[in-house]
Amino acid sequence: MEGYKNKILEVDLSNFKMDVIDILDEDKKRFIGGSGVAAKLFLDRFNISADPLSPDNPLIVMNGPLTGTTLPGTSRFVACGKSPLTGIWGESACGGNFGAELKMAGWDGIIFKSASEKPCYLLIEDSRCKLLDGSDLWGKDIYQVTDILKARHKDGKQMKVFAIGRAGENRVRFAGIGNDKAHFAGRTGMGALMGSKKLKAIVVRGSGVCEPAMIDEYNTLRRTLIAKVSDSVPAQALRQMGTDSGMDLGMMTNDVPIKNWAYPQDFDLSSNLGGPTLTEKYLTKVHSCYACPVACKRVVRVADGPYRTEEGPGPEYETCCTFGTMIMNKDLAGVIKANELCNRAGIDTISGGAAIAFAYECYEKGTITKQDTDGLELRWGDIDAALKLIEMITERKGIGAILAEGTREAAKLFGKGTDEFLVEVKGLEAPMHDPRGWHGMGLGYAVSTRGACHLQHMTLYIEQGMSAYPETGLKANFKGPKSEEKAEMYLISEDLGGPCNSACLCLFVLGCLSATDFSEMLRVTTGHKDFDVQGLLKSGQRINLLKRTINSILGMKREDDRLPKRILTPLSPKGNAPDIDLMLKEYYALRGLDETGRPKRETLEAAGLKDLI
Amino acid sequence: MPYKFPSEDWIKEYQKAINTSEDYKQSGATWTAGSVCLVVTANPSVGIEKDVGIWLGLHKGVCEEIKLVPLEEAQKAPFVIMGDYSRWKQVVLGELDPVQGMMQGKLKLKGDLPTIVRYVRASQDLVQCASKVDTQFMDE
Repeated sequence: MEGYKNKILEVDLSNFKMDVIDILDEDKKRFIGGSGVAAKLFLDRFNISADPLSPDNPLIVMNGPLTGTTLPGTSRFVACGKSPLTGIWGESACGGNFGAELKMAGWDGIIFKSASEKPCYLLIEDSRCKLLDGSDLWGKDIYQVTDILKARHKDGKQMKVFAIGRAGENRVRFAGIGNDKAHFAGRTGMGALMGSKKLKAIVVRGSGVCEPAMIDEYNTLRRTLIAKVSDSVPAQALRQMGTDSGMDLGMMTNDVPIKNWAYPQDFDLSSNLGGPTLTEKYLTKVHSCYACPVACKRVVRVADGPYRTEEGPGPEYETCCTFGTMIMNKDLAGVIKANELCNRAGIDTISGGAAIAFAYECYEKGTITKQDTDGLELRWGDIDAALKLIEMITERKGIGAILAEGTREAAKLFGKGTDEFLVEVKGLEAPMHDPRGWHGMGLGYAVSTRGACHLQHMTLYIEQGMSAYPETGLKANFKGPKSEEKAEMYLISEDLGGPCNSACLCLFVLGCLSATDFSEMLRVTTGHKDFDVQGLLKSGQRINLLKRTINSILGMKREDDRLPKRILTPLSPKGNAPDIDLMLKEYYALRGLDETGRPKRETLEAAGLKDLI
Repeated sequence: MPYKFPSEDWIKEYQKAINTSEDYKQSGATWTAGSVCLVVTANPSVGIEKDVGIWLGLHKGVCEEIKLVPLEEAQKAPFVIMGDYSRWKQVVLGELDPVQGMMQGKLKLKGDLPTIVRYVRASQDLVQCASKVDTQFMDE
């Protein structure tokens, strides 16, 4: 089938041996690619009960069929494995240019098995693949190692680098992996998994192309989609202000969490931290992922003051929340500095920032004191303590060693009722969209297969009214703070988001297109006719059931599909909270799950997944 | 008495509603970005033969001027928001958030998007003011 290179590199890090495998055509059709195919490989080929940081847990880096084409939003790729943070299925998608380059080098993905005894990195130049000594790179931050490797392998087309920093080396459980300094596979701790294998980086250069199956239709579609994306207001907002364009509107709609999810609206915060301010005060240029007409990436510089930075990748909306609103810090320069420190160390700014906000609340409530923090005072509004905590987490020093385990484990270690301050599901800290403003998002956090997640589904776009997708059967005009009719909405948004992630299409771009456009992208690229809208939704169902089956084997039960107490507590007397029991009941029935949360036999059979029974 | 939307009488009532709104006075207090024109596109079926603009001369939380203008003049405003009659009806009734409407492509914006985003609260307050006008829609 076109859209694939039909080759996955399998690397055994214990003996530096390499092999080439392929994906069954049937699995390409069933699970598309990306995290869908990676989950199938994980289940079929590995001991999924292994400890996440043991050599037996694989790191799987996968492309999708759209990766590396020149259709809009096709830069994406994904890092997968059992999550060191949650202990269940983990995946983290990334934009940038690495995925496309890997495809151009002729690979659909890489599976890393076992672990190396000493630091190493993988060099790929088309079909030539070598594991090289990385001892001199160990200890370097992501910016440094990226520069070193690009300079070391500078002959010819520029290398693309996917590397870990000190947090990954130190197995910080929410460590991410950085592509060319600016793009991160941040969530679920894939950087810690990579660090446990002593794999510092993957470096790739490809000379091939990604030919679509139907070139004439592909070219026509490409022109149409680029015009459509360019014309859409969400894309214009992203281009002009980055993802932080959502801050001001989000504050209006109670989407923005404040003070560790415990404070209502604060327009002073959003005014100081939002996209317009970032653009006016700190933006130096915009940057795009491979083949993307949106260009949502920010390049920023803090010219002077205590948070001075060189020109570099700027913060996303999530980061402006975790290091801004979540700790009541209104100094955007401080957020930019925190972002740079996290990028260099390879820390997920969502989980890392959430862990720090959690620590601030523990400190405020007196459950930890200066004696626990090496003398640091954790006061709301103070970014300096947060900057120090980033360093302590990265190096696992003092309280940083506890926070580096993630907030769920930290609450167990702190005790004294600190679990009341947690906002995580299945161990993954929630992203910065408050389900009290948008109940469907709450259901997403509760049932998403990697823990609290806003990116495994299209709910952010659908529930907030930015996208409609009527071809999927979705109704329009959902009221945010209502739980009725949200289970069906969420189910469809999940069945659309799953294929989007597995095809490795950017969710932001799908947010500007229709479901039909997406199915056309897959049809002209792969030549496979079953990727019509209904076929896509079927794939989404299969992908979800596959990952849910993995999690069931790993011990997840219905009680793990939940929302934290804080999210179920209204922010004000007039506020409200999601009716999670109602939404879960409806979702379980629609998804065909039994009372334990596992897919029913008949559900799997009807979905063409008899092999999972 | 209900006022036909859009009409000279309706816009006068709208201006009064804006200038008596404490919320808009606060949220628009720093607005110095110029006039905003709301353009209702032609729809003969409801009696609107040509595009018509509602010109809002907004400055520091006050609506200093309001007038109906033809499209050519409307397009001279720094911010032009265009939509068909049914969309504006939804906005006036409070059923469609104007910023969300722009994001969804139901309303078309010409003007600096970051400024609109920064003043999202003010835009919602302006809509609230429209909802306060006793309105008779031309398709009813």
